Amino acid sequence: MRMAMAGSLWKSSCSCSYTCSLVRVIGVSRTSSGAAAAILHASSLFPPPSMALKIQRKSSLTKWRWSQQQPQLPEDRNSNAFFFIRSSKYGTNSISTDGGKGYLESTDQELMSQCEMGTFKTSGPGGQHRNKRESAVRLKHLPTGIIAQASEDRSQHMNRASALSRLRTLIALKVRNAVDLDGYSPPRELLQILPKSSSIRTSDIGNQIGPNNPKFVYGMQALLDLLYAVDGSVSEAAKFLGLSTGALSRLILSDDSLRLAVNELRASEDMKPLR
Amino acid sequence: MKLSLTPKLSTFLKPSLASTPLRRSLCSSSPSPPPPPISLKPQTPLFLRPPIHSATSSDLQQWQDWAKTLASSVGSTFANSDNGPDSTLLLRELNWLVDDAVQQGIENGQRKIRLRVSLEELYLLWKQRIEERKPFQYIVGCEHWRELVLCVQEGVLIPRPETELIVDLVGDVVKGEEGLREGLWADLGTGSGAIAIGIARVLGTGGGRVIATDLSPTAISVAGFNVERYGLQDVVELRKGSWFDPLKDVEGKLAGFVSNPPYIPSDNISGLQAEVGRHEPRVALDGGVDGMDDLLHLCKGAASILKPGGFFAFETNGEKQCKYLVEYMENEARGSFCNLSIIPDFAGIHRFVTGFHK
Ligand SMILES: C[S@@+](CC[C@H](N)C(=O)[O-])C[C@H]1O[C@@H](n2cnc3c(N)ncnc32)[C@H](O)[C@@H]1O
Repeated sequence: MRMAMAGSLWKSSCSCSYTCSLVRVIGVSRTSSGAAAAILHASSLFPPPSMALKIQRKSSLTKWRWSQQQPQLPEDRNSNAFFFIRSSKYGTNSISTDGGKGYLESTDQELMSQCEMGTFKTSGPGGQHRNKRESAVRLKHLPTGIIAQASEDRSQHMNRASALSRLRTLIALKVRNAVDLDGYSPPRELLQILPKSSSIRTSDIGNQIGPNNPKFVYGMQALLDLLYAVDGSVSEAAKFLGLSTGALSRLILSDDSLRLAVNELRASEDMKPLR
Repeated sequence: MKLSLTPKLSTFLKPSLASTPLRRSLCSSSPSPPPPPISLKPQTPLFLRPPIHSATSSDLQQWQDWAKTLASSVGSTFANSDNGPDSTLLLRELNWLVDDAVQQGIENGQRKIRLRVSLEELYLLWKQRIEERKPFQYIVGCEHWRELVLCVQEGVLIPRPETELIVDLVGDVVKGEEGLREGLWADLGTGSGAIAIGIARVLGTGGGRVIATDLSPTAISVAGFNVERYGLQDVVELRKGSWFDPLKDVEGKLAGFVSNPPYIPSDNISGLQAEVGRHEPRVALDGGVDGMDDLLHLCKGAASILKPGGFFAFETNGEKQCKYLVEYMENEARGSFCNLSIIPDFAGIHRFVTGFHK
């Protein structure tokens, strides 16, 4: 069942502070509670993500990004998630650069409307007919195929909110935007997560936003975009951010999911992991 | 008529606990004042009972093993017979039962297990769950709905996840609309009080109020308990009576009204999942021959109860009822309503009809 929400309907009234620790790209990664998982996997029509990512990692000249197109869902809708990668040359300025940022900037209800929601078994007329405690929620973000689940709460509403917040983290971690390094200037959301020691951070940026703040994901996405553009080199990225290499490393290490994502990238570039 | 709660409830719930989820901060062990009439005394849900029973960990383990075996033996038989729960769901419920009934802690350096019901009762409760198909929520006496934990008991409909959306619909229309946010709202057929409490919380402190009605005295008493637990007794007023009857004094004054009335066609009642058909109140489910009796009654009254610009939202059985209602409101009540819309639930089923009084 495709969700077609009319107008502005869904909004999370709770703010979920949870850090997603998904970072392994393949298979299931667990959150601290162990109850929720984000699964990313490829359809048989496509190379499994491990392969796709290897391609991505091989060449430092070619950048890849997630397709923004809606994947054609195969017949078998039970076969978990699909996640589609499309290649594109970086550096020709021909790529639109708003992919993942667009998703992240969506309101909760917009994001929700891009998702298919399954409570793991939905059948029949629902409503007053049913009492099944189907509180577990599985959101599939149709444009990217990213899946976020939550089942640790007894309320479906709370699980929807957690799944949505997880989805945002996953989008930030997985969806890359091309960055033009010539004349690069960090977007505001990235400046906001930088420590005050950054020489390009002006006082109007305000206090540093930490990993527990829901806004952290926006900066995290922009930071990963930059790190991908410099092939995982923390010292290169640090220069663009007016930080010492050590200060940027500390920032990366302050959030588990960010650290793991950066180390994945570095491993693919044959660099040592940050610790 | 404002419902006066038993002194017991009002004293132990007021006022310091206002509007926070009260899961652990309450207990019901205060000495009891003279008992109110039976039907008006809500049962205390498991998780609010004092942990006065003890058990050894091996006895508890034995119960749990027995309960797991019982749940596993169900396999998919319930699912196949009436779309009921399978073992996986039952095992998850078992964990929640343990969450609500068992308190584990360390006393004097020793692991101690305290129970909110006796071990014998735990055996009985799980037997009722599996053998009688008693809904899990009646076993533990509560349902987790939105960010709330609502007390429920036999005689009161267990609020459904689909219905959570009604509160969001109201949240959206009152955003930036002070006239609506600070106005008077009604939830007709409130059951456990779920929607009324949800709405009261989105209206916030701007002076908006909610009248919650029900025909069932049990519903009124349980809703009263829940309203007090969330410290909303000054915002939500309970009135007993049939649909618009208890609202004569506010005719033409409501900023909005919502309802999830009984909407299942009478014919379908006998085929319902056992948890629903055998245990939930028929008066909460049966909407007459085509399930539309109460919905139509509500539609007919909508124009006179709402003030100009007032909002309404109804939950329905699905697409057929939604379409019928919208057509009805367009044709019969020509000119009274605008912005009629049909809104799907999260499973994509056309579930709600909303609109505004012109
Ligand atoms: C489907 S339940 C909904 C309960 C609650 N609002 C919820 O969403 O969980 C319908 C409710 O309408 C009440 N009801 C049935 N007939 C009624 C009537 N004539 N007047 C007022 N309430 C009625 C029932 O007692 C029941 O609580």
